[in-house]
This record gives sequence, structure tokens and C-alpha cells, in this order.
Amino acid sequence: MLSMLTEAQQDTLRALVDRIIPADDFPGGWEAGVGDYLDRQFAGDLSHVVDDYRIGLDWLEAEACATTGTSFAALAATAQDEVLRRVEQGDVVVDCPVDPAAFFRAAAEHAAEGFYGDPGNGGNSNGVSWRMIGFEVTG
Amino acid sequence: MSVHDVIVVGAGAGGGVAAGVLAEAGKSVLLIERGRELACEDVPRDHLRNHRYTRYGHNTGPSLEGNPRVWVDLDGREHTLRPHEDAYQNNATGVGGGARVYGAQAWRYLPGDFEMASTYGVPAGSSLADWPIGYADVAPYYDRAEWEIGVSGDSVGSAKQWPRDKDYPMPPVPLNRQGAIVRRGAEALGWPTLAVPLLINSTPYAGRPACIHCQHCIGFACPVDAKNDSQNTLLARARATGRAEVVTEAMVEQVDTVGGRVVGVTYVDRDDQRQHARAEVVVLAAGAIETARLLLNSTSSEHPHGLGNAHDQVGRNLQGHYYPGAVGLMSEQVHDGVGPGVTTAITKFNHGNPDVIGGGMIADEFVVLPIIFWARNLPPDLPRWGAEAKRFMRDNYTRVARVMGPVQEIPSPDARVTLDPTVRDRWGIPVVRLSGATHPETVRTAEFMYARAGEWLAASGAQRIWGSPPRLKLSGGQHQAGTARMGDDPASSVTDRWSRVHGHDNLYVADGSVHVTNGGFNPVLTIMALAFRAAEHIARAW
Repeated sequence: MLSMLTEAQQDTLRALVDRIIPADDFPGGWEAGVGDYLDRQFAGDLSHVVDDYRIGLDWLEAEACATTGTSFAALAATAQDEVLRRVEQGDVVVDCPVDPAAFFRAAAEHAAEGFYGDPGNGGNSNGVSWRMIGFEVTG
Repeated sequence: MSVHDVIVVGAGAGGGVAAGVLAEAGKSVLLIERGRELACEDVPRDHLRNHRYTRYGHNTGPSLEGNPRVWVDLDGREHTLRPHEDAYQNNATGVGGGARVYGAQAWRYLPGDFEMASTYGVPAGSSLADWPIGYADVAPYYDRAEWEIGVSGDSVGSAKQWPRDKDYPMPPVPLNRQGAIVRRGAEALGWPTLAVPLLINSTPYAGRPACIHCQHCIGFACPVDAKNDSQNTLLARARATGRAEVVTEAMVEQVDTVGGRVVGVTYVDRDDQRQHARAEVVVLAAGAIETARLLLNSTSSEHPHGLGNAHDQVGRNLQGHYYPGAVGLMSEQVHDGVGPGVTTAITKFNHGNPDVIGGGMIADEFVVLPIIFWARNLPPDLPRWGAEAKRFMRDNYTRVARVMGPVQEIPSPDARVTLDPTVRDRWGIPVVRLSGATHPETVRTAEFMYARAGEWLAASGAQRIWGSPPRLKLSGGQHQAGTARMGDDPASSVTDRWSRVHGHDNLYVADGSVHVTNGGFNPVLTIMALAFRAAEHIARAW
């Protein structure tokens, strides 16, 4: 899965998705299939943003290392959220070839599509998000 | 070259009705449709690609490649668009057209909707006009559409505002929890409510079953064929006569003339071969944008600017519907999953409002898909990531109510369809170029209705209300209308009171193009009614 990304990029992506949709008493984004959704979309409608993801994920890792001394995926959740809040506000230290805040916004949209979209798109495994919110398909 | 009595271009709401009436009147009919036949399973329940949410595409035609349009934005920038992009103003293609996937609201226009200019005056810069016909001229055909296609509604409630000779053939689709809650709110405000009339079977009707109240109505095809349109009624009747031939995946390039007189059409078939078909009468029902394109593309030495366009009127006055609405976080659960979801309308604001022209209907909203809720219904200040966003979805998907509705637009002659000078579609045909915007008075009316939406939710128990205020834009989309409007004066209209193109006794239009104004209601029942009326006229005259 996600063979278009390096292993390091995949680790960062997985950590990012699980902060966009964190686990609580329902699964987080990754467990619910957001990675499977992205894997399919990166070969389809989102093929044009794969390069942005490569750049954005490498950058996020560099930014985390520069500001915390630790790999993004290895940070505690609260520290990851702190990094992401600064990304959201454009308060970053490492230069990035793409707009980091825009990359983060797009990743949040894509994660939501994978999590709340229909399971036919590869995410929302077994309709878990629909059970969570109370959307039932009866016919 | 094939020869027929009548050629109908477009198998949507209007074209299917015309084909049915004419085939039953004994005419041989060729119906040409650019899309495919669409069985229910051909219209996927893809939440990211449907006519309610076109994030990456949609679930009918036209295909995303080879069908561009050009849009000129309000700053004069040109954009070449694909069909699923908003400003393309798309409507579904396929047998059945947009009605294959519609929400099926079955509104008549009010008597006053036909008399907007004489009621309100004509604001500067607007092309607002009265229709050349009135409600009484259309009413018998509303009856036919309601009975022959099938509408569920509240006859007694409707008759308080609409003179009607016949009741609806079916009682209203049942209320759901959201409807019950907003009815209480309306009662608190003293606003009368009306069950939304729907082209959906509340009981078995005409050999097809009743609605099963699923959650995938608008934007999708009905899994039990309880949603009614011309495709499963009048077009089925046309086919049963043996006199109707339906050619799909065929693109009409132009209406052909000889010596200035309409003789048929040229189309490109599914094998990319150009075909010529001949008929005594041609009926255009391709939708307000594509019908205008076809008229403009049908040039000849006698008609250098296209058919019906001697006075530069074709393609002007494009209208759709502003759809202001509000979202409210309620103190109780409102979503019970009972579809289609739209149940309850307020029609007291369609006319007679202080300081605005016209008005609009407002109603509770269809069952909302979770991803659409995420994309469009979250409070503006809620983070789009993190535990708080997930918690809001979890706690409040079933506690958010929505009311919204179509505003009667004030037409502008500069809101228009022309032909792009350079961009061609996959068949090499010049494509639509969209430009301009509605008249600013439309925005004022929409702002008025936007405020009413919030007021209604507040009275219904909303703890918090949010939404997007209306902004000046070009309107069209699924409710597209006005580009070949009716009138008695050929200098300011394209079609006459029988939907016949001025100067051509054998060229008719049977879609929203002929609407002079587009009502403060979903337009499809009027499109169907006027198609009945035009087709009867053809059957009599030819």
C-alpha cells in the first residue's frame, strides 16, 4: 500500500492522519481506512497531488525535527498537535516548496473523505464512521 | 438519412414528455439523447461523485473529458471547466436527464410568478418581464403532469394558494422528525406550512411501488423506481406505441435548414459518425444551456447568428436559483434517517415581502450524506481536524437541522450563454461560454430569505445558527432556465406563447429555456407542464 511514498513518508502520513482524525472510543483515521482511501486516490483522482504529499510529508518531518528534535511520527500526540497548530498558522521554521498550511488543509479534507465517505471508496472500513455519527443505510 | 414526423433533442423532463404525447398522437418520433440509458445500478451510490456532491466527478453523464465549457468570472478571467466543477452549471445527462437523480419537488409556479414585471416594475438593468401566458393557461397541464407522471401532495393545503381543478393523485410522503420539529417552529411564528409536493410515490402508483424512505434520494437513482420522471412514465408510453425511436450517446451538432426552413438535425452517433435525420418538426429539450448552444451553433446564410437569434436574444437571461439557507444546532435529535427528507415548506414569502422583489419558498432539507455534512454543514469556527472536529461530527450529525429554498431570480440580459470562439468539445463542436451574473436585486431577495431561514430555525429550537450569506454570481445549474424565453415580441424574446421559436413554425423548445422568470420554486413541474402544452400544440398543428 502507498508504494508511491517512501517508508518514512508513509510513517509521517500515518501519524498525520491519526491527528486529523484521532482514535477515541471509535477508531482513528488510519485504522478506519484513510490510508486505503488515499492509496486508491493517489492512483486516480488525486494522482496530481502525490508530489505535493511527498514534499509536504518530507517537510513536516523536517519541521518536527527542527522544532522538537524528534521525528513527527515519534512525538507524543500533544506534541504532534502543537506542531500542526503552528503549521496551520504558518508559524514554521523550515522552508517548504509548497504552502504548508494549504498542504495541511488539503490533507485534512482528504482524510475526511476517506473517513466519512462511502466504504466503496476504500475508506470508512465497514461503515465505522457512519455508525459513529448515526447515519444508517436502510434501503 | 432517417425520416420522422418529429425529432426531439434531449430525453430529460421536457423531452420525454414531448415524445410521449407525440407518439401517442400518432407521430413517429426520433428522440436523440447525448447520455446513456441509466438503470439504477448504472448510477452509483458514490458519496464523492454524485449530483449532490461532485468532489471528483458525478454518477451520470456527461463524461468529465471531452465536454468542456468556458466560464468568464466576474473579474473577466476565463476558466475552462469540466462538468463536475461548480461554475460549469451542469445538469445530468442520460435518459431521464437531471430528473433521473433529482429531489423531485413538484411545485407549480404561483399565478403571480407569471406577472413579475407588472407586479413589481422592472428594476434598472434587468430584463424582468411578464410571461405571455398566465397560470390559467398552464394549470390544465400541471394537472396532467401531476397525474400522468405522479405527484404526492397535500391537495387541501395546496388549494389555498393555487387554484386547482384536481387533487394530487397521492397523499403526501410521510413526515419525519426534522419535519415535525420545523413545523412546530413555523407554528410558533404563525407561518403556515405545506407538505412539499414530490414526484415520488407515497403509495403504489401506475404499476410502481411506494417510496421506501431510503437515505440516497437526491443525487441518486431510486432503488425501487418510486421516483417519477418522464423516463419511467411518458417515455415508457412513447416506447409502448412502437412509434418512438430512442438514440442514445448521440450528440446533436446543429438544427439543419434548407432555404431558412428547419428540416431536421445533424448528429454524431456513438461511433462518431455524422448522421442526418429529417422531420416535419424539431423540438429542442436539451436544457437551457445546451438548447441555447444548439440554436447558436445552427448557423446558415439565412441565419448567420443562429436560429431564433435575429435580435441577439438567444442565450441571454440565464437563470437558475439562488438557494439561501441556514444550518441550526438543535437541542434535540432531528435526524431519524427517514428519507427523502424534505417534508415541510413555507410559501408565505414567495410574494408580498417588504422592499424586495418577489421572494422564494423555503423548506427543510433532504437527508444529508455524512461527507456533505462535513464539507458544508460544520460551524465556520470549528477546526477541521483533531478530536474536537471528530467529536462534533459524532455528537451533532443527528442534531443539526437545515432549511433552505429557491429564490425567484431577477433576470439580467448579461447573464448569458454564448459560443466560445476557440474551445471545442470532443466532436469538434464549439462549446458554451458562460458569462455575467444575475441582477443585484436577486441578491437582495436572497438576503431576505437567508434571514427568514435563520428565523425559522431559531423558532424551531436552534441553539446556534450559521450559514453562508448570498453573493453576486452567475446562476444556472440544475434549475437552469430563461435562455429562449417566451414572449409576444420577437425583439425581446426567442419563443412565442406556444414555445415555438419566432420565425420558425416547426421549431419548438420543451425545456426551462422558455421560462421568462423561473419562479421561487423548483422548476421541473413547470418544464413538464409546458412540454405537455407545446406537444399538444404540435399534435394539433401538424
